[in-house]
Amino acid sequence: MKNKMGFTLQEGEAQPSRCPDNSAFKQQKLPAWKPQLTIATVLSSFFLIGAFCLSVGICLILSSNSIREIQIDYTDKCSDCSKLRENTSNWNKECYCSANFTLKEDILGDVFMYYGLQNFYQNHRRYVISRSDAQLLGRNVNIQKSYCAPFTTYRNGTPMAPCGAVANSMFNDTIDLFYNINSSVIQVPLLKTGNSWWTDKNVKFRNPKSHNLSSAFAGTARPPYWQKPVYLLDEEDERNNGYINEDFIVWMRVSAFATFRNLYRRLGRIRQFKDGLPAGNYTFHISYNFPVTKFKGRKQVILSTVVWSGGRNPFLGIAYVVSGATATLTGFVITAIHLKLRKKKTYFQR
Amino acid sequence: ISGVAIYTGMETKMALNYQAKSQKRSAVEKSMNVFLIVYLCILISKALINTVLKYVWQSEPFRDEPWYNQKTEPERKRNLFLRAFTDFLAFMVLFNYIIPVSMYVTVEMQKFLGSYFLTWDEEMFDEDTGEGPLVNTSDLNEELGQIEYVFTDKTGTLTENNMEFVECCIEGHVYVPHVICNGQILHDCTGIDMIDSSPGGSGKEREELFFRALCLCHTVQVKDDDSVDGLKKNQLSRRSCIYISSSPDEVALVEGIQRLGYTYLRLKDNFMEILNRENNIEKFELLEVLSFDSVRRRMSVIVKSSAGDIFLFCKGADSSIFPRVKEGKIEQIRSRVERNAVEGLRTLCVAYKKLTAEEYSNAQKLLQNAKLALQDREKKLAEVYEKIERDFILLGATAVEDRLQEKAADTIEALQKAGIKVWVLTGDKMETAAATCYACKLFRRNTQILELTTKKIEEQSLHDVLFDLSKTVLRHSGSLTRDTFSGLSTDMQDYGLIIDGAALSLIMKPRQDGSSGNYRELFLEICRNCSAVLCCRMAPLQKAQIVKLIKLSKEHPITLAIGDGANDVSMILEAHVGIGIIGKEGRQAARNSDYAIPKFKHLKKMLLVHGHFYYVRISELVQYFFYKNVCFIFPQFLYQFFCGFSQQTLYDTAYLTLYNISFTSLPILLYGLMEQHVSADTLKREPSLYRDVAKNALLRWRAFIYWTFLGVFDAVVFFFGAYLLFDNTIVTSNGQMFGNWTFGTLVFTVLVFTVTLKLALDTHYWTWINHFMIWGSLIFYIIFSLLWGGIIWPFLNYQRMYYVFMQMLSSGPAWLGIILLITVSLLPDVLKKVLCRQLWPTATERIQNASRHCREHISEFTPLACLKSPGYRSSDCSNSPARRSNSHSKKTMFTHWKGVDYSVLPSVFGYSNKPCRSSAGYRFSGSGLETSV
Repeated sequence: MKNKMGFTLQEGEAQPSRCPDNSAFKQQKLPAWKPQLTIATVLSSFFLIGAFCLSVGICLILSSNSIREIQIDYTDKCSDCSKLRENTSNWNKECYCSANFTLKEDILGDVFMYYGLQNFYQNHRRYVISRSDAQLLGRNVNIQKSYCAPFTTYRNGTPMAPCGAVANSMFNDTIDLFYNINSSVIQVPLLKTGNSWWTDKNVKFRNPKSHNLSSAFAGTARPPYWQKPVYLLDEEDERNNGYINEDFIVWMRVSAFATFRNLYRRLGRIRQFKDGLPAGNYTFHISYNFPVTKFKGRKQVILSTVVWSGGRNPFLGIAYVVSGATATLTGFVITAIHLKLRKKKTYFQR
Repeated sequence: ISGVAIYTGMETKMALNYQAKSQKRSAVEKSMNVFLIVYLCILISKALINTVLKYVWQSEPFRDEPWYNQKTEPERKRNLFLRAFTDFLAFMVLFNYIIPVSMYVTVEMQKFLGSYFLTWDEEMFDEDTGEGPLVNTSDLNEELGQIEYVFTDKTGTLTENNMEFVECCIEGHVYVPHVICNGQILHDCTGIDMIDSSPGGSGKEREELFFRALCLCHTVQVKDDDSVDGLKKNQLSRRSCIYISSSPDEVALVEGIQRLGYTYLRLKDNFMEILNRENNIEKFELLEVLSFDSVRRRMSVIVKSSAGDIFLFCKGADSSIFPRVKEGKIEQIRSRVERNAVEGLRTLCVAYKKLTAEEYSNAQKLLQNAKLALQDREKKLAEVYEKIERDFILLGATAVEDRLQEKAADTIEALQKAGIKVWVLTGDKMETAAATCYACKLFRRNTQILELTTKKIEEQSLHDVLFDLSKTVLRHSGSLTRDTFSGLSTDMQDYGLIIDGAALSLIMKPRQDGSSGNYRELFLEICRNCSAVLCCRMAPLQKAQIVKLIKLSKEHPITLAIGDGANDVSMILEAHVGIGIIGKEGRQAARNSDYAIPKFKHLKKMLLVHGHFYYVRISELVQYFFYKNVCFIFPQFLYQFFCGFSQQTLYDTAYLTLYNISFTSLPILLYGLMEQHVSADTLKREPSLYRDVAKNALLRWRAFIYWTFLGVFDAVVFFFGAYLLFDNTIVTSNGQMFGNWTFGTLVFTVLVFTVTLKLALDTHYWTWINHFMIWGSLIFYIIFSLLWGGIIWPFLNYQRMYYVFMQMLSSGPAWLGIILLITVSLLPDVLKKVLCRQLWPTATERIQNASRHCREHISEFTPLACLKSPGYRSSDCSNSPARRSNSHSKKTMFTHWKGVDYSVLPSVFGYSNKPCRSSAGYRFSGSGLETSV
């Protein structure tokens, strides 16, 4: 690209005009860079883009291949439980089931455990707006004015804490992972905290101020589908209880699509799990509470490692490779056309 | 005088020639509105589709109301139709951004601010008059780049309306009042150059009579001081007195005679005083003035000399004097007059007769009676004039020159090269007007002139004449592959048509059998095939009629009328764009026009440079606005398919609101003000570039559909790219998950960057302001997003954007995704541009290439040298875009058909009452001195 400065103002100075001020701006003669699509710039940019995309794509594919992911759909494995949950009157009956899997190789590094839901329209507008961020900030607000309906108050006027459909439908299965080694069963240490955004945990979600948590929520009631009130979400850890419970915070970030996964636990890397999950047989013990069959949904539990390019997703790598290849090919096509045309032109000029 | 009755009201000449002002809309605005309707349909169909799909989707209860997402009681009870209607409206609200309301604001701002560049233009500023261009409406800026027909007035527009007495011919002897050397007139020289030898005794007497006649036969008034209201402040100001007249010709004559030694002093107590060569004052009693009218085309005075002789002096157009002359050197004078007329001089003949006292008293009685008549006064007066003004003795003729405005020929040539057809509409006589047309290169030497005049129609019937002409014209255009845009191709026979007012009114007149369209169509067909048309002896309303005729012809060309006088106002109002010359004949034209310029030559820059720029700018602006809103809203539409058609927005409210207001508005507004795809000098040097944008080329359906599809493509890339990126997977490097707002923000970020960079790719002229605006608005977007997500906003009842943008930026895959999606959505457009440039370059692009080529290789050479390469010339025949050849073939087809149609028609439409009609037309049109109309 050539950098050509625009017209200078010499003309204007040479002829004194009665027009008072003739700035370059007014005469539309501001110095300007006039880039043009020359064949050299176009070709070099196409080839550069092609090379860049190809290399990034190959890197992405390579790194994505190192990711290990185990996905177990337990909707059908626990068919008894799912039948039980279809009837709302059984809400307080407990139901457990388990799912086994075998690791042929070790999974090294940080392992994350997700629960996945399918066909759960978290992005439905009525659902998305049904929450009160002010309440979750720990403010004493009148939730009647919020969009929490129909999960705002009970008939007797007791407000729900937290209110709204999002909070009400919180995922409440409990999933534990056991490692079967030499006929002994070891519970795999899983971390409940550090799974949500730091800002959410520390700024966006706050418990109401009071000397203890249960008094802070005095005068409110749990949402109708919850089994226990919000101040009992995690009885072991005071800093993971109430609104700042991380399972709750993670749930409250509604997903973009109806099929989604949420971070549930992280592997605590201690003892034999220092380097990750060793090979062997594992069992998920699931306390099955969350009904999905009614809306034809499915539930999964997922174990995955993560690299710099995220989890297992072949899309980005393939897309980069494809667009890189296309750009390079296009570059060659343009070169061919250009050479052909130039030949023609020189022929004309002779 | 105790009282004067002045007729006012609707039947005055002014009011009758007045054209009602109507709203003018530019072609761009019209196509903008059409596009808008298309988008409205898209909007409604989108909303309808989504509403229908919503109810289809919801038909299963587990979707309509799953346990986790229950409706409220009132929602459940609501009537189904009411719900469906509410849903429809909600979708309309969701998608309404596809109708770019902000476009109208931006377009108005662009037009208003852009019009300042016109008024600021130094080159359009006239040093002599101290006037610059005026912009009376900014609505039509871009129309200046779309002009196909220019209708120009002659006097005062093409010419300077600065009458100069050139010569007089007395009894065949030619007198020139000043020395002409090298075409420059030296005013100081007062000597008389006699080209022929001095006449003898009787000649001397005639000569003096001639000068006296010119001194007396006029209606000029004398003002003693300079405090005249600016009308005649030119070279006369050094003298003690100033002549004022309704017609500049008369002033020129009186001034010319002054230079020949006879000075008209004043009219005092009905005595006209003149100063003769011997510096004696002669007094003549003014007995009668037979004032000028455009039907008679002459005027007379009856004066009584101090010696008691009564003279009748008459001055008028040759055609009205010669038939009334009984003696004098008619042949010599006639040949001189004709020669002068051909040279473009305005000629007048002077004759006299001596009246006896008896004859005078008769005449006076007749005049008195006629003047006092209560009915048909005008008719009676005309009859009396007819009786009195006869049996003249021819004295001689005068020639007054109305010089061409500077660069008029250059301008017309440039306009013709730009594919604009130039028509001259004038009230002058044919010969004078034709000569002016030759002088300003409207007609060339090889132009074949077709005449459609009263004279010809008298010989043949109108039908035959029209028919012959169309045959002549069409024979050529039918056989040759004629580029319809070019009026200048050298291998082609050029046609120039001359038509006069009377013939025009015959053509325009609807016939009794109601088939009025026929002659008009034929006439239009002829005109279309002529490179230049001259309409002479036009009445003001006829000028407007012509403009209207062309305007409403089936191609609906964009017309421009330019004129300087009150008689051009109706045409200025009628044309798509009316331009007034800030001239001598008052400011009426300038005030009624859309734009006013000091000189005709400024039209060139106005159309070729400013008009072209305005058009390119606004068409990009319009297309870009539609494009960016498609990009904006289409992902939202796609998202409905994934969120159960629940009207969930993809973007946060702040983004929805600010997208058009602050993130993407300023760069395009600035583009609309500053863009110069080629330099102004190139545009001026290469008028043919104007054809690249002719016929609304940048806002055709093809271009519109291309932009829309580009928008849809980009939107699909944004949405599905982001969807695949987010699809049930982990997008962060720390295992945490993103929600729907992060998804929307990612799409929005890609959107803002793509749309802005697309504009950056289209910008050819990067001043620091462009850099500032384009990069500035991207930086503003980032800063705004950081701020918007960085704080818990106390006044909001939701905090959904809290840290969303930051979290997105902290994730590697999101960055990679954004970069990829921007690249992928921009590449096809770049590719299309490159390929089009290589394979089917437009003239503009060729010039860009060529100028770059020149700069690279031989910088001393002018770019023009490069353009002479055969590659460029071949553009017109082989490489030219399909649209040109298309329009051409259609046209040829039409002409063939027309021709056949007419040959079948029997000549039933002969004119039985032709003389009557033509005389009726004549009254409207005939005005020898335009200014007196």
